[in-house]
Amino acid sequence: MAEISFPLPDLGEGLIEATVLDWLVSPGDQVERNQPLVELETTKSALELPSPQAGKVIRIHGAPGETINVGEPLVVFEVPDNTAGIVGTVPKDEAPKRRVRLSAVLDED
Amino acid sequence: MSESTATLEARAPMEARLTQLSMQQALNRALDEVLSTDPKTLVFGEDCGQLGGVFRITDGLQTKHGDTRVFDTPLAESGILGMSVGLAMAGFHPIPEVQFDGFAYPAINQIVCQIARMNYRSRGTLPMPITLRVPSFGGIRAPEHHGESLEALFAHVPGLKVVSPSDPHDAYHLLKYAASRPDPVIFMEPKSRYWQKGDVDTADGGSLTGARVVRPGRHLTLVAWGAMVARCLQVAELAAEDGIDVEVLDLRWLKPIDAATLATSVGKTRRAVVVHEAPLTSGLGAEVAQLITQSCFDTLKAPVERVTGFDVPYPSGDLEDEYIPNIDRILLGIQRVLEYRRG
Repeated sequence: MAEISFPLPDLGEGLIEATVLDWLVSPGDQVERNQPLVELETTKSALELPSPQAGKVIRIHGAPGETINVGEPLVVFEVPDNTAGIVGTVPKDEAPKRRVRLSAVLDED
Repeated sequence: MSESTATLEARAPMEARLTQLSMQQALNRALDEVLSTDPKTLVFGEDCGQLGGVFRITDGLQTKHGDTRVFDTPLAESGILGMSVGLAMAGFHPIPEVQFDGFAYPAINQIVCQIARMNYRSRGTLPMPITLRVPSFGGIRAPEHHGESLEALFAHVPGLKVVSPSDPHDAYHLLKYAASRPDPVIFMEPKSRYWQKGDVDTADGGSLTGARVVRPGRHLTLVAWGAMVARCLQVAELAAEDGIDVEVLDLRWLKPIDAATLATSVGKTRRAVVVHEAPLTSGLGAEVAQLITQSCFDTLKAPVERVTGFDVPYPSGDLEDEYIPNIDRILLGIQRVLEYRRG
């Protein structure tokens, strides 16, 4: 298992912080990619932040009302070692399928 | 080592030194051992340090060996390889990583004009003991540039050695072997095989310098490397159902190519099909076919057939299944060779 930290991204153009309004997940939750993680408020708007990846939430940073700076840890995920990383997917092991049959008369000279 | 493991080793040393590892873990272990035994070794690249690599190949190495020996670089492939040249000239043994094969293109100038030539240029006084790890080939449905098949490009450059392992055992031993060489080695890791597990005999790597027959057969030789070896083994199983006994040859070294083992295999089976992911035209399959023709012309029953990717840019994820040689295309290639009769 590996831990991946998700720091607070810049939620607008040049924002430096955001305030936590409400957590939508708790440590121990398994989340999917794009699942809403947390409601945040910036100087521009309030928004729900979607998860950048699937994984198990093991730590969350910032209680409701606390302010977090851009770049500081927001959520730490635990992911299995056999994930593809930032791009691509792990190929599935499937039984080989075929449509072509070989029909050959082998001359054994 | 636990007591039970120690007892097992005393009773059955062969079984005890066999361990099940994924290729990813095998490569990680090989790097760990090289870093431990050779103080001049440095491992670096984008995300290699703190994150442990996007494919986790360098996981834990920075914690164990320190951030002066395993470290992150800026997102600048030309810089990563340029720095490798300077480090090699200063007596280090760099093992740089290009995060994805498609991003080796920005570093081609450093690879071809500096790394490949420095030994020749300096009349042997400046060898380049660099092992460039490149997660290679497709099969993981990644975006454009994250899956390419560059072996012919690298193999064409004098001064470079090119190798691609196809299973965890070879990955472990070939990486250690490549890192011990005085010459630059392009180490092409088949990224679609990173997660497949296999037996690794850590004590005995066997012969590491040439091609390897991974399945013996009588009627036809399938020649492949990297990720295509596993697919060819599947094809061989299916061909056996139809009464065709296929030999599968893992070329392993793409430069230099082991022409003798090719000749021995095809000299026996008298028919050959080369399988690769790269486009057909000027691909390595042409080189392999010529080497076979040169040594086996009199005994060949049919021209050497090629089953390859198409002459298009390597496609992104959704079209990969159409592009990479699939089981049916390889079977059809075999059928064409079997049907051939001299006019």
